[in-house]
Amino acid sequence: MTALLDLFSSGIVRTVLMGAAMLGALSGMLGAFAVLRRQSLLGDALSHAALPGVCLGFLVAGGRDLGSVLAGAFLTGALAALVMMLIVRRTTLKTDAALGIVLSVFFAVGIVLLTVIQTRGGAGSLGLMTFLFGQAAAILRSDLWVMGGIGLAALAVVLAFWKEFKLVSFDADFARAQGFPVTMLEAGLTVMVALAIVAGLQLVGVVLMVALLIAPAAAARQWTSSLGPMVLLSAAIGAGSGAGGALISATTRGLATGPVVVLIATAVVLVSLLVAPGRGLLWQMLAARRARARISDGRMLATLQGLATAHDNAGYPVEQGMLQTALGAMPPARRISSLEQRGLIRSVTHPPETTPHWELTDAGHAEAAALSGQPRKERPQ
Amino acid sequence: MREDMLHEPDQALHVEDLTVSYGATPALWDIDLDIPPGVMCAIVGPNGAGKSTLLKAALGLVRPVAGHVRFLGRPVAQMRGQIGYVPQRHSVDWDFPTTVRDVVEMGLYRHIGWLRRPGKAAHARAMAALAEMGMQDYADRQISQLSGGQQQRVFIARALVQDAPILVLDEPMAGVDASTEAVIIALLKRLRDEGRTIIVVHHDLTTVQSYFDWLVMLNIRIIAQGPVNDVYTAQNLRAAYGRHLAMIAVPSEGAAP
Repeated sequence: MTALLDLFSSGIVRTVLMGAAMLGALSGMLGAFAVLRRQSLLGDALSHAALPGVCLGFLVAGGRDLGSVLAGAFLTGALAALVMMLIVRRTTLKTDAALGIVLSVFFAVGIVLLTVIQTRGGAGSLGLMTFLFGQAAAILRSDLWVMGGIGLAALAVVLAFWKEFKLVSFDADFARAQGFPVTMLEAGLTVMVALAIVAGLQLVGVVLMVALLIAPAAAARQWTSSLGPMVLLSAAIGAGSGAGGALISATTRGLATGPVVVLIATAVVLVSLLVAPGRGLLWQMLAARRARARISDGRMLATLQGLATAHDNAGYPVEQGMLQTALGAMPPARRISSLEQRGLIRSVTHPPETTPHWELTDAGHAEAAALSGQPRKERPQ
Repeated sequence: MREDMLHEPDQALHVEDLTVSYGATPALWDIDLDIPPGVMCAIVGPNGAGKSTLLKAALGLVRPVAGHVRFLGRPVAQMRGQIGYVPQRHSVDWDFPTTVRDVVEMGLYRHIGWLRRPGKAAHARAMAALAEMGMQDYADRQISQLSGGQQQRVFIARALVQDAPILVLDEPMAGVDASTEAVIIALLKRLRDEGRTIIVVHHDLTTVQSYFDWLVMLNIRIIAQGPVNDVYTAQNLRAAYGRHLAMIAVPSEGAAP
């Protein structure tokens, strides 16, 4: 416990924690829109395309100057987005192909530049490697102001244009027909995503930054069905994953931040996919099982009812073998005892036969009639 | 021609020399089209005839390579908010996290204006539009829980809430049940009787004569246009649909349809 307190009193750890939380909240918020617009992978292309910009910024500034590095990252990211848009509009290639081409070409250029810089050596050239997978410890207190500024600006824009962003994300054609400047709004969202990526380069790195955009949104969608709560929850999950990852990476020597953040975020996604009420896999399995049980019970009751009617005897005891033949297989013992507990059927004996028999109770007759939608017949005497 | 001058103001929709092309093949070729105000018009044609493209080009969603479009004499940019548009139901993701009333209110976003949220008045108007489609009990439902027919009713309510003089619908009867189709048609006829212009891309030739009073037959080019009774002839149908005509209802030649 004291170790943990010591940790938080350390200035570096506090800086890292705050930076990562802000970054996670920012990318979680914007990622929600990206995921809903089915543009998740655009973030991937933008972040990979930031690498050549990082290197160019380094070359121009002649050192690891954060301002020029991030400006370079933003510029090449924007260039990549532009190239992608042109490819989709001017050629017959579809979005996914354009994305793949742009991502790999820009990233390849980035890697070439990176190796050139490293071969030439020089102060700080090794530090560039941290932009690949991120390094939490590299973050400075002054960076927090940059991140906070970007975050607040993005928040203000999202709040101001909330309904327009919602409309464009749901139905861009309708928005355009209404006269909204859809291209501007979409470009606005893309530029903000690019800014979030640039802000996250130091912490998470270009390779895995996209996870911080997609994973929180995908997880949040599982838990809520309104846009507002989804964006909020996505931001919260992003902040948590970012902070957790950065904290682990900052306190463990030599651990790159990006992979740790991604592992935490995907763990949240996994849990959400499984257990979220309504949409979770476990939840749906449970619902399917309940439906199967209901059908099995219904068939059992209907069979008993049919045989009782055929014999003109409401209390007709049906032998196990008969049920088995009529239903194809005997319902599991669990279902039978459940029906007995609900008072719908009753286990009876029918001497001299020694096999188990069941008859419908009054409640069982009523239930069977209700299930088949027929008015209940008077009980034959 | 100056932008503020009215051009063909007597037509609800006036299309002249419109050509749209995706790549080398034209999707629409040299379309000249006039739809007078106050009619309920069907646009029919085989698959790939460019019916949806015609609507999208008219609404400015697709950029034509040539030609111009006027609604009541004005370019579409000056008519925003006065044209209710119902896109194809499958064009959106119905798993989007929002409610039925929220979707209908989207029809009012332009009216509400920038930087403002829908208030009580918008809620009331959305509820009234939903009630017209018989969907008032679904206002707070998630849109992912709707059936196809209900989705279509919500889409129409979203266009209805604008109270626009011109309504443009893209295949509103595709994949909906009979009762929804009846509700939609009754509503569209009532709107037409109020003097609005209804333009519908329609796929079911068997109902053209009973539902509509104006007809445009399209197959990349305009085949015929005018009052249904003049246009719905075996000759025109053959020209639009070619040899596949055996599958569809043809008015017997000579006999009044």
